Amino acid sequence: MIAVRFHGRGGQGAKTASRILGTAAFSEGFTAQDSPIYGSERRGAPVSAFTRIAKEPIRERGIITRPVLVVVADVSLIGDPAARMLEGIDERTAVFVNSPLTREELRAQTSLPGRLTTLDLTTIAVREFGKRGAISALLGAVAGRLVGLRPESIDRAVAQELADLGVDASLIRRNQTAARHCYEAVPLVPVEKDVRGAPGPTSLRAPTYDPPTRGTASITAGPNSAIRSMSGWRTFRPVLRPDLCNGCWLCFANCPEGAITIKPDGKPAVYYPHCKGCLDCVEVCPTDAMTVERETEATKTT
Amino acid sequence: MAWEYRIFKDLHQIPREEHVFPGTPLCAGCGGLESLRLAAKVLGNHVVYVNAAGCFTNLASFPFTPLDASWLYTTMGSAPAGAQGVRDALDVLIAKGRLPQDEDVKVVVLGGDGSTYDMALSSTSGAITRRLDFYYFCYDNEAYGNTGVQLSPATPYGARTATSPCAVRNPVGAVQEKKDIFEIWRAHRPPYLATVSPRFPLDLEEKFARAAAYRGPKLFLGFAACPTGWLFDPAYTPDVARLAVECGMWPLKEAIDGNVVHTYLPKLSPIEDYLKLQGRFRHLFEPTVQKDALAHIQATVKAYWDRVQQGDSV
Ligand SMILES: Cc1ncc(C[n+]2csc(CCOP(=O)(O)OP(=O)(O)O)c2C)c(N)n1
Ligand code: SF4
Repeated sequence: MIAVRFHGRGGQGAKTASRILGTAAFSEGFTAQDSPIYGSERRGAPVSAFTRIAKEPIRERGIITRPVLVVVADVSLIGDPAARMLEGIDERTAVFVNSPLTREELRAQTSLPGRLTTLDLTTIAVREFGKRGAISALLGAVAGRLVGLRPESIDRAVAQELADLGVDASLIRRNQTAARHCYEAVPLVPVEKDVRGAPGPTSLRAPTYDPPTRGTASITAGPNSAIRSMSGWRTFRPVLRPDLCNGCWLCFANCPEGAITIKPDGKPAVYYPHCKGCLDCVEVCPTDAMTVERETEATKTT
Repeated sequence: MAWEYRIFKDLHQIPREEHVFPGTPLCAGCGGLESLRLAAKVLGNHVVYVNAAGCFTNLASFPFTPLDASWLYTTMGSAPAGAQGVRDALDVLIAKGRLPQDEDVKVVVLGGDGSTYDMALSSTSGAITRRLDFYYFCYDNEAYGNTGVQLSPATPYGARTATSPCAVRNPVGAVQEKKDIFEIWRAHRPPYLATVSPRFPLDLEEKFARAAAYRGPKLFLGFAACPTGWLFDPAYTPDVARLAVECGMWPLKEAIDGNVVHTYLPKLSPIEDYLKLQGRFRHLFEPTVQKDALAHIQATVKAYWDRVQQGDSV
């Protein structure tokens, strides 16, 4: 059985990518299973999705803890403990990362284990679609190539899954073109054809509870959410060009996050650990002083 | 008579102090959060938020909170009843001298449109009738958002949601008209009602500042452009919010003691400009243009503004 795990950020299309892969495999006569998992956090938060492909019926269920291939839609997920991207991977796991870096550069930057391969899907998507957006078809195509599925089945699966989501025909065609391009361009690495070694037995542990007499935890807290860094949510970042800024404060007023502060000189400044990368400030800026830069660092602290 | 800004005349008056802090788990580009942040700048921190289950429940999820105010979580149908309990408790404490008279703690219901237009309507009606002194802030994302964007009575005609799909038998999506909750509130004659949009920040701040002078139920309907539910890139939240007002679909207005005043006269640009930005309306344009549906939406908007022009209250 081939067990593939996708990691993305809500809105990037990891879930649909897992469906595209599953549907393509199914159309080639395999049994396939796909399912996503995400928490109550939303767009921008880590999402995982799983696809199992086999010749025989698949009896395993649930999340994939020992994948043979991991597909990572955004470098920021590597360093995000909430994404659990590193779970169950070792030097024999194939790991695809959407990144403009080569596998050697990425290895040097992240010390990721596994058989690394990279391709810059975001640039391909921006070129093909003219804006940022879901890259599900591209992720699905890369995964399909790495596990050895045929290009025609990926093509059909992309059309079917995107049509189910209500994507219009012309955008589906552009997705197919981009997907085919990624299918051909992704540098190949071997993908193990079976789960290596059965997972060890799990011993069940009875949970221990505090006695009710201990009382409840204190639920009095100040505004402490600001200690969380939202940097990992960004796939693009706003960058201010102070020379163009007229100090109108529109960005400060319209930032949903309160990530823009006003400096003593009256000009705004983006505080990146608080910025989720929605780019609303870029949109409202009347002088185009807010510009957009793509995030490429795997470990974003600011 | 044109409406005038009395308190907020310049963007630079927007308080720099934050009362909704960063680090929330809400979506990047959430238009509802944008309104709440601006509102809280005027409301301050002497506030008890009474929240009805919805997206904003994620704001204060243990162990984190972005608020320097208090928070009470209630069921979808009962936030106004919860607000009554909190208000009563505060009044008792003040009467007993255990809370200073001038502490001025505000009770603010924070609910989505699912609770506001639908599930909490009877509880709301009761609270207004009892003249409960509270704010009701509804962030209207025009769907049951938190559970995956299902149809709510706030969903406009023609929008696609998880439970009003564009289907062969029903190509338009939602066939209902958006419920006029503003008028339902107004029929109760509360002292203060307003609609707001975060893309009109001064209008929003001004209204929250004015409302403070009124005792009793005060409603704020906040336009909450929702990139996740309405299917657009989060960068367009401000554009969607601006066009909703400019095309006339989201009138900015205020009603003091029931007298409606429109606080901004929109350009009445074609509704298509607004609809085309959002995936939830794309089926009205592709693969074929649903001319009748678009004409219907445009006619509804026109009829509203014709009535306004004729000086009818709405
Ligand atoms: C009585 C009841 N029914 C259903 C739910 C499940 N539920 C939790 S949040 C939610 C959606 C609320 O929608 P809305 O009020 O529009 O707020 P939004 O999620 O859009 O912010 C639902 C249905 C609930 N909590 N209580
Ligand atoms: S689903 Fe919509 S309303 Fe809810 S948090 Fe996300 S953007 Fe805001």
